[in-house]
Amino acid sequence: MRYRVRHRTTYTYDAPVANSYGLAYVIPRPLPFQRVDSAEVRIVPEPSDLRRDDDHFGNVVTYFQVTAPHTELVVESESVVDVRAPVLDPEALATPWEAARPLQRPDLPDSWRAVDLALPSTLVDQTEQAREYAARSLQPGRPIGEAVTELMHRIHADFDYRKGATTVTSRIDEVFSVRAGVCQDFAHLTLACLRSHGLAARYVSGYLATSPPPGKERVVGADATHAWAAVWLPDGSWLAVDPTNDQWLNNRYVTVAWGRDYKDVPPVKGIIFTEARGSTLAVSVDVAPVV
Amino acid sequence: MSVLREYAASVVEHGSAQDPAYDEIVDAEGTLRPAWRRLLAEAGDLSTERLAGVRAEIERLLADEGAVYTPPGEEPRAWRLDPLPLVLSGREWSTLEKGLAQRAELLEAILGDLYGPRHLLAEQIVPAAAVLGHEGYVRALARPSLGDPGPLVVTGVDLGRGPTGEWQVLADRTQAPSGIGFAMENRRVLSRVLPAVHRAVDLHRLAPFFGSLRTAFARAAPPGIDDPRIVLLSPGAGSETAYDQAFIAAALGLPLVEGGDLTVRDGRVFVRVLGRLEQVDVIVRRVDAAWTDPLELRGDSRLGVAGLTEAVRRGTVTVVNSLGAGVLENPALLPFMSAICERLLDEPLRLSGVPTVWAGTPEGREEILDRRDELVVRTIDPPFEIDVDDRRALESAIAERPHRYVGQERAPRSVLPVLTDAGLRPHEITLRAFTIRQGSSHRPMIGGLATATEPGAPFRLGVSKDVWVLKESPDDPDQGIDDQPTTLGPGVPAPQVPRVLDDLFWLGRHAERTEAMVRLTIVTHALAEDFQDRRWTPGGRALDVLSSTLRALSPWDGDPADHEGDLRSVLLDARRVGSVAHGVARLQELAQSLRDQLSPDMFRVFGAIDRARGALATTPHAWQIGESAGRILTDLLALYGVAANMVRDEGWHLMEAGRAVERGLQVCHLVGPAMTVQRGHEVDREVLGAVLQAAESAVTHRRRHRGVVRATTVAELLLLDEANPRSLRHALTTLDDRLAALAGSSGSTRPERLVDDLLDELARVEAPALLAIDGDERPNFARFARATVDQLMRVADAVAEVHVAVGPAPRSLGFSGSGS
Repeated sequence: MRYRVRHRTTYTYDAPVANSYGLAYVIPRPLPFQRVDSAEVRIVPEPSDLRRDDDHFGNVVTYFQVTAPHTELVVESESVVDVRAPVLDPEALATPWEAARPLQRPDLPDSWRAVDLALPSTLVDQTEQAREYAARSLQPGRPIGEAVTELMHRIHADFDYRKGATTVTSRIDEVFSVRAGVCQDFAHLTLACLRSHGLAARYVSGYLATSPPPGKERVVGADATHAWAAVWLPDGSWLAVDPTNDQWLNNRYVTVAWGRDYKDVPPVKGIIFTEARGSTLAVSVDVAPVV
Repeated sequence: MSVLREYAASVVEHGSAQDPAYDEIVDAEGTLRPAWRRLLAEAGDLSTERLAGVRAEIERLLADEGAVYTPPGEEPRAWRLDPLPLVLSGREWSTLEKGLAQRAELLEAILGDLYGPRHLLAEQIVPAAAVLGHEGYVRALARPSLGDPGPLVVTGVDLGRGPTGEWQVLADRTQAPSGIGFAMENRRVLSRVLPAVHRAVDLHRLAPFFGSLRTAFARAAPPGIDDPRIVLLSPGAGSETAYDQAFIAAALGLPLVEGGDLTVRDGRVFVRVLGRLEQVDVIVRRVDAAWTDPLELRGDSRLGVAGLTEAVRRGTVTVVNSLGAGVLENPALLPFMSAICERLLDEPLRLSGVPTVWAGTPEGREEILDRRDELVVRTIDPPFEIDVDDRRALESAIAERPHRYVGQERAPRSVLPVLTDAGLRPHEITLRAFTIRQGSSHRPMIGGLATATEPGAPFRLGVSKDVWVLKESPDDPDQGIDDQPTTLGPGVPAPQVPRVLDDLFWLGRHAERTEAMVRLTIVTHALAEDFQDRRWTPGGRALDVLSSTLRALSPWDGDPADHEGDLRSVLLDARRVGSVAHGVARLQELAQSLRDQLSPDMFRVFGAIDRARGALATTPHAWQIGESAGRILTDLLALYGVAANMVRDEGWHLMEAGRAVERGLQVCHLVGPAMTVQRGHEVDREVLGAVLQAAESAVTHRRRHRGVVRATTVAELLLLDEANPRSLRHALTTLDDRLAALAGSSGSTRPERLVDDLLDELARVEAPALLAIDGDERPNFARFARATVDQLMRVADAVAEVHVAVGPAPRSLGFSGSGS
């Protein structure tokens, strides 16, 4: 599928901002199953400094500085991508999950790279609760594809999707206690479950194309940023699962960036210098099919 | 027999107190070690008394220099230096030196690998989890676009000696090594108190090392910059090693800046100097990397510079040491150091580390649990020792995050005596050695900073020792450097960044405020001495008035009748807000961070104040309050001399403006409560007399009015008389002049307008109308005093805003959307 993705983030302040520094992870990264035909970032007011770079995980990150005084900052990206469903080796998916723990596989030349994603990270505590919860799916010797898929089903079934139940900095035990959250929480939860058993798993941010209800027009801008998780397989590939929608990654997903958790790849973050007391944030995302 | 010979003899006779530890003075056969033979030849006849005298002299010199150390979470305390140095022969040093040079080179190679090709991880020479699980690994630097992670210009390494005399590495200090300033200070002091010994033993002087240090910082600049601008980024005057930082900044002529003084534009770093931006090429950081950039590192940091990491990645600025250097302090690297050395340098490791087991493997975990009684278990960052008494708790902590733990054998340490109140006592020695980058190699400082601790005592309670490395031949050049650099020190005055201007403004304010409080203390004390047991007399009533004025400025929660306790605490209790002690502490802190701007005379003032307070603390007699307060006043008056000798630049004008604002405020605080109420002729005479003394105007008043004290004459002299330097009007005209001289002034800026309003108001005032009586009170006067105080506070705020503002603190852009 081919999509044109428009992602617009607008900050509005109640007093002028004199100086603003930011980082944006809003440009999809090229992948075997994702071709990026074009991608641009536009920032208003015109930034005095703008630079695109590849980060530690190979994501495209945009650094910017705005020195023109402003009460509104817009970070807008537009990209055209062609996505297929990832193809995974059935043999890799059939590997007993224990053999997919990078710390136990020094025999594999690239396992050290996956180690980074098997360790705890700031927003992903490897709690005992997460370990126990995951243990039911990670039965001894079970094929990793099957085990992780079942874990995804369970999270989807056991946790409610509810906006406002958590915040962007919510931790794993909060998600367990309210039994609800948004895509980011489900992704973090999946990571905590998998990592607490020694598996390597990464947080992935991106977009999901939504279909209008039958007979209705597509509503522009009604989409949202999305997040899911991916687990490392011993052949070096990654199985990406979306516990929010209870499915594997398919050709409706646009992958932007991945890291240890949300903190590594927030769509936009920054530091401002201002006397302003308040700010409001508006995000609009539109994933439109193109031919 | 002299004290050192006596100690040596007793070691020979009874063996070392810490057998089988290595004794620095005497070998296993009971023979003096060669280096000490030379020292004893010179210093052997020192008696205990003489040595104690030397120690007292050291304390005085250190106090005069303002040398302090602030243990984390504690109040600053005097830097401590033992008179006996650690003495090493040139021969034993040369072995250590090769090891140190190799280690620095190795650490730099590891840095380059971990932020570049990562061979060490790919080839599993170091387990990936040992490195990637350490907080010091900065992923924002580990990008393909980064050329070189930056140099390791200075390294510190902590060493201990085993029973055979071999040095072992206890820890590497690469993040922002501290201690070079303290080492230099130790040498400066010891060479002054033991001049003959210092001259006679032919030791390596440190001065040339300092010259090399400046060169090393300059050479770290991005390519193509010949005359780089270098700044020292400090976390602030309250930091643990603020003295060390200020010492280096002053000695090398580097401006000491804080995060708010710097800003990033177009991917370059600039320092704010008097409203201009000047590009910075090298930042010597004493801020841990995590706190240096709120944009990409810790978002809650107020110590950093937003955009710094980006500037580093673009190569427009060099941060020294590299922002990524913290990963090298990881004790989990120690077990692999030998293999790393073979891989990266292709040579055997010279300096072995203290035996360390990493818990990241099942065998390592098992070994740590089995040997937990003999091992010190630590987390890898911060490398704090953790409690191992409870095996179950330890087991589960390690099981949860095994890669974050190590077990280390107890650090070996040699023994050397320290002069204590009970004579020479054996202590354990830790040596911090330093290297600096020179060309492509690393040169160790020939010397270092030793810390002596009582066996079993925590490190932070240790006392420092100078480290003397003797020359093998008297002709050896100091530090092995032939071309001695010419004199050190600031060639150009350090620029006055906003932080400096702010500090100077407050220095002026606190100097004046503290002086006013001392004067008030002296007058109150004199009244208390005479009248505290005769409360009903006019003098007793005056005591109440003055005492409550003092307590309004510096609240006292003790017994209201305990004047002696109150005044003692005003002079001694630094935690009592508004007290003299509190003011002195603030002044010291400010002077510390202004070390590169101020004359060393400044610190002598504090040394003298400390002694005056020390005398009071140890004397129970009440008269000592007046005595010590008097001495403190004399010392504070010396600050006028320091100010008089300063260049008349922006900073000086601000400092003097601060003093003038505060003088105006203080005179209002003093006359307000004294004159608002009429208390009867007798009492008023006593009160006004005391006020005149506290305002240092009694003599003038007596000369003019022949001892007849009236409210009108006092008001005229203290408020309206332009010729009296202690008057409100004089303070305001001075303030007006100082403000007019500031670069940002136009004649109509807000601070100037506010002062003009005050002067206009004062010109309209006539003493009789001002002092009109209504019942027992003077309502006009009360209003006037209150309004003047409010207006002066507005002036102070406006000055800060217009002339020293660094702008608002950094804040987060706001949370971005969390999506579906």
